Amino acid sequence: MRELLTTLSEKLHSGEISSVELTESYIKAIEKDNAELNAYVHTTFDYARECARRADEMLKGGNAGALCGIPMALKDNICSDGHETTCCSKILKGFKPYYDATVWEKLRAEGAVLLGKVNMDEFAMGSTSESSCYGAPLNPRNTAHVTGGSSGGGAAAVCANLAPYSLGSDTGGSIRQPASYCGVVGLKPTYGAVSRYGLIAYGSSLDQIGPLTNGVADAAMVFDAIKGVDPHDDTSVDYDFGSVAASLKNDIKGMKIGIAEEYFDGINPTIKDAIMSAVKFYEANGAEIVNVKLPVLKQSLPVYYIIACAEASSNLGRYDGIRYGYRPEHYEDIDDMIYRTRSEGFGKEVQHRIILGTYVLSSGYYDAYYKKACLLRNDIIQSFDNIFNECDILIAPTAPTTAPTLGYNGASAVEMYLSDICTVPVNIAGLPGVSLPCGRDENGLPIGMQILGRKFSESVILNAAYFYEQNAPAPIDEYEGGAEI
Amino acid sequence: MALSKEEFEKLAVLSRLRFSDEEAETFRNEMDDIIAFADTINNAVSGGTDDIKNISENAVVYTELRADEVVDSLPNEKILSNVEGSKGFFSVKRCVK
Repeated sequence: MRELLTTLSEKLHSGEISSVELTESYIKAIEKDNAELNAYVHTTFDYARECARRADEMLKGGNAGALCGIPMALKDNICSDGHETTCCSKILKGFKPYYDATVWEKLRAEGAVLLGKVNMDEFAMGSTSESSCYGAPLNPRNTAHVTGGSSGGGAAAVCANLAPYSLGSDTGGSIRQPASYCGVVGLKPTYGAVSRYGLIAYGSSLDQIGPLTNGVADAAMVFDAIKGVDPHDDTSVDYDFGSVAASLKNDIKGMKIGIAEEYFDGINPTIKDAIMSAVKFYEANGAEIVNVKLPVLKQSLPVYYIIACAEASSNLGRYDGIRYGYRPEHYEDIDDMIYRTRSEGFGKEVQHRIILGTYVLSSGYYDAYYKKACLLRNDIIQSFDNIFNECDILIAPTAPTTAPTLGYNGASAVEMYLSDICTVPVNIAGLPGVSLPCGRDENGLPIGMQILGRKFSESVILNAAYFYEQNAPAPIDEYEGGAEI
Repeated sequence: MALSKEEFEKLAVLSRLRFSDEEAETFRNEMDDIIAFADTINNAVSGGTDDIKNISENAVVYTELRADEVVDSLPNEKILSNVEGSKGFFSVKRCVK
């Protein structure tokens, strides 16, 4: 039975339920359902019980925060002190971080309860979570289909009520796309709004941590708890958001909604219809629709892959088998050890992206690819700036299709990359985006709608999402099963 | 633009990765598609500056520099906790002979 964070928080604060009881109900559900869904790759139940006991004391003390006592799951690339964190890669199997990521430090201080680490594509490189060294998580809506990725385990856990919320990371859509495939809410905050300290790096100028939840107000609550400047992350920004959760109003009158036709090129017609119905709903409720042009959208995919792979090839240089992670048993000398560590430890997709990143940064190709991509990135940023002078938010599909079936091997690498067309532009421009369910296809699979805004406009995009969630007909049934509360 | 066998081998060395001949051949062919895809940006005209230094501030917002204060660092035993059988330092096979 699904419970929203807002409801759970009320129940915990009123004493109707204790954190220990709540935590046990999630542990029981994970023990029952995870073998099939493969959402969690490491569980931390002893630690969860310890966190829950501490949370109950904080709740009794009467000054506990909104998320106190509520269990949650971290993506397997977010560090917590002493708990195995592997990026779902053989190269990090057994790695136990010796510090907390800032996001977990903040949640822990507020009394959050860590249930475990959830499945993902290896090093967050992928769109289906199938490149995980632990095997793919399954989509709870239909287990023949993928969860999406890379934060697929988190989306599956939240959808199947194996966690009330999860933190994921979004480099090119890795929170929003699995949220869309599993029919939950996923928020990719503005670049710099949330500290990345303790997030295992993929593309440092694109990565951002954000929540996967069952409701829009829940996403605002979690965002409020994790946002803020951090001395450990130089790119984090001191911005006064106030309380985003408190800013949610049930009103969008006069809001200017931009629609860029480029976002709808090659999109499955059922998805296009669902998004346009949502746009009509907004219009009927007092929003103004503005047609805008975004011709740079086409360039955003190659720009994204060039920048992401370049940054990944540099970030993943640290995996040498010396300080942590996998080291082969037999090797000849230190060079051989490093070659073997990396060739045996990294999966194929990761190796390919490292090679591609090395290529675009290598002498002779740097100007044609990396430098050109950075220059075009600037054009994309300026195009979005111009658009947000004309409108408050943009509405677009989250993905061109609904969740594909597992093991779809027909797609080439380039075809797989093309599936990220709707999500990567905001990562390039550092903007916030939220995906929420807005319908389902002929097979009953969820369709996601994306709401995008200017930098630091989380309260604007979440307000628009909240209005739709509260007033439009429910786009998708609630998932039955998981924790019983 | 196709990637030659030699170029691919050079990239593998720079990346400290080894591929079997078969893997290298398959991936090199796949790379050609990916490079053709990346090449599409070369048809695009960039409207603004040509100086990469001028654009980084736009892409990534840096806050002020922090004060240069001494703070505690992580203890050695924690940092070494992921190295099996560590004797208080990171160790590798002798590399200077």
